[in-house]
Amino acid sequence: MSDHVIALRNVSRYYVMGEFIVKALDGVSVSIARGEFTSIMGPSGSGKSTMMNLIGCLDTPTDGQILIDGEDTSGMSEAELAFIRNQKVGFVFQQFNLLGKLTALENVVTPLLYAGYKPRERRRMAIDALERVGLADRMHHRPNELSGGQKQRVAIARALVNNPSILLADEPTGALDSRTGNQIMELFDEINSEGRTVILVTHDRELGLKAKRQIHLRDGKIEV
Amino acid sequence: MVIENVKLAFNAMRGNKMRTALSLLGIVIGVASVVAILTIGDSASQSIKDAIAIGGLDMVTIYPSPGQRNTGIFNEEFSSMLRRDVEGIDVVLPQNSSGGRIRVGQEATDASVVGVLSDYGDALNLEYAEGSFFEAMDNINRRQVAVLGSDVAKELFPDQEATGRYISLFRNQAKNYLVVGVLKSKDPTFNLSYDNSVFIPYNTYGQRFIRTANVGAFVVKVTDGFDTISVSDRITEYLDDIVGTDGYMLFSPATLAEMADQITGTFSTFLALIAAISLVVGGIGIMNIMLVSVAERTREIGVRKAIGASPSVIRGQFLIEALTLTLLGGFLGIVLGSLLSFAVTNLMDWSLHLSYASFILALGFSMFVGVFFGWYPAVKASKLDPIEALNHE
Repeated sequence: MSDHVIALRNVSRYYVMGEFIVKALDGVSVSIARGEFTSIMGPSGSGKSTMMNLIGCLDTPTDGQILIDGEDTSGMSEAELAFIRNQKVGFVFQQFNLLGKLTALENVVTPLLYAGYKPRERRRMAIDALERVGLADRMHHRPNELSGGQKQRVAIARALVNNPSILLADEPTGALDSRTGNQIMELFDEINSEGRTVILVTHDRELGLKAKRQIHLRDGKIEV
Repeated sequence: MVIENVKLAFNAMRGNKMRTALSLLGIVIGVASVVAILTIGDSASQSIKDAIAIGGLDMVTIYPSPGQRNTGIFNEEFSSMLRRDVEGIDVVLPQNSSGGRIRVGQEATDASVVGVLSDYGDALNLEYAEGSFFEAMDNINRRQVAVLGSDVAKELFPDQEATGRYISLFRNQAKNYLVVGVLKSKDPTFNLSYDNSVFIPYNTYGQRFIRTANVGAFVVKVTDGFDTISVSDRITEYLDDIVGTDGYMLFSPATLAEMADQITGTFSTFLALIAAISLVVGGIGIMNIMLVSVAERTREIGVRKAIGASPSVIRGQFLIEALTLTLLGGFLGIVLGSLLSFAVTNLMDWSLHLSYASFILALGFSMFVGVFFGWYPAVKASKLDPIEALNHE
């Protein structure tokens, strides 16, 4: 297996907006090593969300190659991409994106459901993940009964439960107060120190500098 | 996965109780009408058949036409001829009858006087309140003995046993027939009312009331294990050859029962088909609510896709939700339809025959409606772009 968990080779992503073509990402090449804590930074419209979506296999490039864990994702079907998202990537969003009608435990169980684990295994793995983020005592609560920080912890547990190679966090502290945000950032540090690749997408310079490596984007290109 | 999806479906339904109830109404009404129509149809048909069956489903009665009086075919030899030539006949019982006045002293009543052989009682499984049927010797010796129907006995001997007493038939002869038995009350059949009949030996009847050797009717009992309808068809074929279609009339309760069954069957199938149209309308309601559900849950679909749900998983989730809805509607419809059938059959005094076939039909159709009308919304959900779905407000 490659020691680069993510490799972008000359990746472009263009959008057609009426008569214009927006080059959200324009010929970007970058590699991220296993176990790195990297932030992708840049102002709004710089292409960082596009890059995150491409790394997370939510989107496919107009041109270029993306390798996740050494596996070329170009030409993959929707179902194959879903499998990569399920197995290799864990998402953490600014707005948490928990399923509101499910309990914390059920939210964390959902990726395991798609992965095909048996009910007993699913439950055990989900409880382990919730313990890891310090929320085992809240597992039967629904998101609307949890604080913002707790919701984000549930989301992190959900992202980690399937033991992915990459944790992708998009402005994970954006909806939290600074104290809670710091706690979440500490949690990311811990997760990274356990050897997992963490990618933080943010426009917040101060936050981005907490990562060990920064990738700066501007107008769809990497700033050196 | 299926269990989780069913749970999710119930979650979604619980979240929008009113909307769910309204969109289920179409399916519920559709299924209820199909079940009610088929069940009521079955019950009606069964009660008609029950009424006809009283006449004896293993009996066929042949009535020679008046024109056949003197052709010499429908005489006593006919019984053995028919038994010899047509397969599946147990006994052929000749029978003559006419209306007459029965007297005991000052009491009188009108009844059918029927001349039959002594094995008539056994062949028709007659039951006795008093005494028994007369014996073969009574017939051979043309004895003046009689078995009374229950009404006749009640009329003439209101407060005492009739057996051992005498009655007079037709003419005002003094007490010349000895009563040997009284029948229990028995439902009337198409050919006669037992309760208002007096049975006397066949030969006695012949000697006393008709001078020719012609027979008024032949009651045919079909051998156990033979199908009455096919035996009656063979008799028809046989008689058509000998005397032509106008030479006789044939009455077969089994044939009538089959006809009644066919008519009610056709009728209720027709009505059920009309009711099935409402199921299609119900299906459109399901499609509507599923489209609303997909639109409302766009963000949820995005999240599920982000954490690894493939298009087929999302499609499955919404299909199962549609199926859960329609099956729930189907179950409620079956309950409602059964209650309706119960009320109607009760009102009509029919026995309730729940049409289990209609339950299966209704559930099958509900499932079909669920898949058919749930497919498009489910596919639509599965094809949503994950990024757009995630950013959906």
